[in-house]
Amino acid sequence: MIKFENVTKIYPGMSSPAVDNLSFTVPTGEICTIVGPSGCGKTTAMKLVNRLIDATDGAIHVLDERDEMSNVLEMDPIQLRRSIGYIIQQIGLFPHRTILENIGTVPQLLDWDEARIRHRAEELVTMMNMPVDFLERYPHELSGGQRQRIGVARGMATDPPVMLMDEPFGAIDPINRNILQNEFLRLQQEIKKTILFVTHDIDEAIKMGDKICILNVGGLLEQYDSPANILAYPANEFVEDFVGADRALKRLNLVRVEEVMNSRPPLLQATQDVEQAVGFMTEKKIRFAYVVDSAQTLKGYVRVKDLKGKTGWVEEYLEPAATSIQLTTNLKDALSEMLVVDYANVCVVDGQNRVRGLIDTKMIHESVIESNAVAEGEEV
Amino acid sequence: MATDLARTQRQNGFWREMLNGWMSILTEPNLDAFRAQKTRADPLKTVLGVGLLGLVLGLWALAIKPAALVTGMGTEAALVELMRMIFFAETDFFILSLLIFFIARGFGGIGSFSQQSYLLSLVIVPLGMIITAFLFVGEKLGLTLTAVLDPLSPVGVVGVVVILLALYGFLLLLFALQAAHEMKSSAVFYTLGAPFLAWGIFRVASMFIVGEENVITTQWFFIAEQWTKGTAQELLMGHLWLVAFSVSIAIVLGVTIGVFITWPARKPKLSHLSILIPLVLFLLLWAASSGLLGEGMADQIMSTAKDWSRSLKRIDNLYFGPLLEIVAAIIAKPAAVGMIIAVFIVILYALFLAGEVASDLTLYVAGIILTIPSVALFGAMIKPLGIGPFNAAFALILYAQLPILRNTYTGIKAVMPEIIEAGRGMGMTEGQLLLKVKLPMAVPVIMTGVRVSIVMLIGIASIAAYIGNDTLGRYIFEGIYRAQEKRYYAGAILVAILALAVDYFLGWLQDRLTPEGLKGRREAA
Repeated sequence: MIKFENVTKIYPGMSSPAVDNLSFTVPTGEICTIVGPSGCGKTTAMKLVNRLIDATDGAIHVLDERDEMSNVLEMDPIQLRRSIGYIIQQIGLFPHRTILENIGTVPQLLDWDEARIRHRAEELVTMMNMPVDFLERYPHELSGGQRQRIGVARGMATDPPVMLMDEPFGAIDPINRNILQNEFLRLQQEIKKTILFVTHDIDEAIKMGDKICILNVGGLLEQYDSPANILAYPANEFVEDFVGADRALKRLNLVRVEEVMNSRPPLLQATQDVEQAVGFMTEKKIRFAYVVDSAQTLKGYVRVKDLKGKTGWVEEYLEPAATSIQLTTNLKDALSEMLVVDYANVCVVDGQNRVRGLIDTKMIHESVIESNAVAEGEEV
Repeated sequence: MATDLARTQRQNGFWREMLNGWMSILTEPNLDAFRAQKTRADPLKTVLGVGLLGLVLGLWALAIKPAALVTGMGTEAALVELMRMIFFAETDFFILSLLIFFIARGFGGIGSFSQQSYLLSLVIVPLGMIITAFLFVGEKLGLTLTAVLDPLSPVGVVGVVVILLALYGFLLLLFALQAAHEMKSSAVFYTLGAPFLAWGIFRVASMFIVGEENVITTQWFFIAEQWTKGTAQELLMGHLWLVAFSVSIAIVLGVTIGVFITWPARKPKLSHLSILIPLVLFLLLWAASSGLLGEGMADQIMSTAKDWSRSLKRIDNLYFGPLLEIVAAIIAKPAAVGMIIAVFIVILYALFLAGEVASDLTLYVAGIILTIPSVALFGAMIKPLGIGPFNAAFALILYAQLPILRNTYTGIKAVMPEIIEAGRGMGMTEGQLLLKVKLPMAVPVIMTGVRVSIVMLIGIASIAAYIGNDTLGRYIFEGIYRAQEKRYYAGAILVAILALAVDYFLGWLQDRLTPEGLKGRREAA
């Protein structure tokens, strides 16, 4: 847990504060994204936590290893920083040290023995889906995405309960950024850290955050809430402008396919008789149907017009399915996928490629209308 | 077809065609002109052109022979002489061309021998004639190697023109070879350079083997003679130790100051009072040995110092002798030692407190020290420090400061802020940041400064011979006083070789000291 209580920071010689009377609480195990325009003090607010900058007024409490809340201003800054994971923009890996030494920075400061450091580093690179022999390499031998993963691993080296991340994916191209974001979200489900995540990108804030803290210039807190609530009920005009006119579309980011899909779709078995299949499709009034085998694995699809007047098994008329969507995909990505392949509906599969449901554009549309209705209803 | 073309050309004025070839090369000295001439390559033109050059050379040879010999020579003898020159010109040219041809093939050349020979003759024949003409004029005016060294005299002008023409010819030959063989320009350079280099090495080696005394060999013979006597080694070791001793202290001092001036200003603390202990001790040493605490005490200290110094000097060792001498010289002046160290303690503490505030001033002062002529600094220090190694080492330490502390400063300042921020954010103390991040990352830059300093000091240490130090500079000063060219050339050559060797060694050391991860790092992390 990280708790800001009326925190104010005024830089020496400045009349207006950089962070103004900030109060909010990040619950344990959640990611809180701090977002806002440049000059809103988001990085300052983050650095107040590990005392790279000291607050002028107010108190910040973090949950320490003994599960007690302690005021950071009363702690030794060096010890405090070693107990908080810190991952910064541009990564900040030490170019003169190997990946092992980089990851081992804080453990080394805490006097861990070498074997333990190596063991932990191996664990972390494996967690980051990288081969263990990367440990002997130097940062310049790695790609940007790999360096970023090492940066995250370094921040997690001592398994700190609290982590600070300052635009960690800022310097990476959009494709890799998306991959890294997804990887990190998956990881967070396992490690459940309390994370303060600074970004200037509202889309990233919505995607990564369990909570979003929107700051205005001068370090004013405009709204602190869950992404869904911020999109549905922006507190004021500033937030509304900041999240953008497409906030309805952005909400698609927050809904997973499994929440809106048809989980009992009409499916055909590969070994079914063709005549029977045509009867089934006519009854359901569908022009085509997905085909699975006995283990529910997706085999492809068949069209009514191809089967009519034919005999034999369904599998003889199979067409391969161009795409399928994972259960945890969000609606925005699902919609985009459907537009790309130009399918009206797409199979939803799990990790083993077993069909778990079906989703079509109508369902997505309905989910948008539904949430709009809720939002309008509340506002009126 | 080709012979038809050649015949038509011959009918259209073969000589004019040949002249046009020469003219095109002389007026448009570029690759395309040679490439255009390549298609007109004709062995007959080559042979005739070279023969013509032989004729001119023969005429020149006849013309410069002593008048009595020429007048005494019959027409027949003169004709035989000409024929001989033409024959030698042809054979020399084609043997050389064949040699170049094989080397070019080795470097991947694809042209034919006939084409190559023709293109080479296009350069050699006309330029050879022109150079011969100049040489003829030069001979008449009395051209010698020494005269060429005075480019303002009429003879010197001729010599300079000949040298420039020869260089120009060399460049044109590079074009000719490239056009003939279409090779990489570096390969062309090696092809043409190899015979010259081989000839040069052969010529110089033969000078040394035969023991021929000339401008190139005399100083080397002198060095060899000094080496057998052992004097050269003594001076070499003296030179090296003076530099090594000064640089070791200069590195500690320079890096410390360089580090101090990178951090923010600090407030004095009570714990800083501990520096008073060494400060007071060294001030006491100064006061006691300079007689402020009573003459008796001073006498006692001075006699002890002299005893120590003398016993050190008595140790006679070729390798460590010079170092012992430096130490002995320093021990012999306890008052100066006390004062100098006390002053440096105060300066270092002031810089420690001022930090970055003093960075401009410090770099400025270090820069000014470097502008003081070394002879003047040595001279100014004679009164407090005497002549000899103490004086020299003091000056050298001051001179070495600028490159070392400037590079330490810039090296640390150049460490990317996000890397420092990452270290600080992960809980490194300022000291750990300095030792684990800033200094390792600044090592390549600091080492560059150290290299510059050392090479510079090797030069200045020669001048320290002026105030009685046994360095290689002694040869230079002795050479000047006795007007012995070979002596000061020998000194200069040895100093240059020493500087190059040490710099090469330091380059290797720098490579070893550079953290592995910083090598080959092109882009920022």
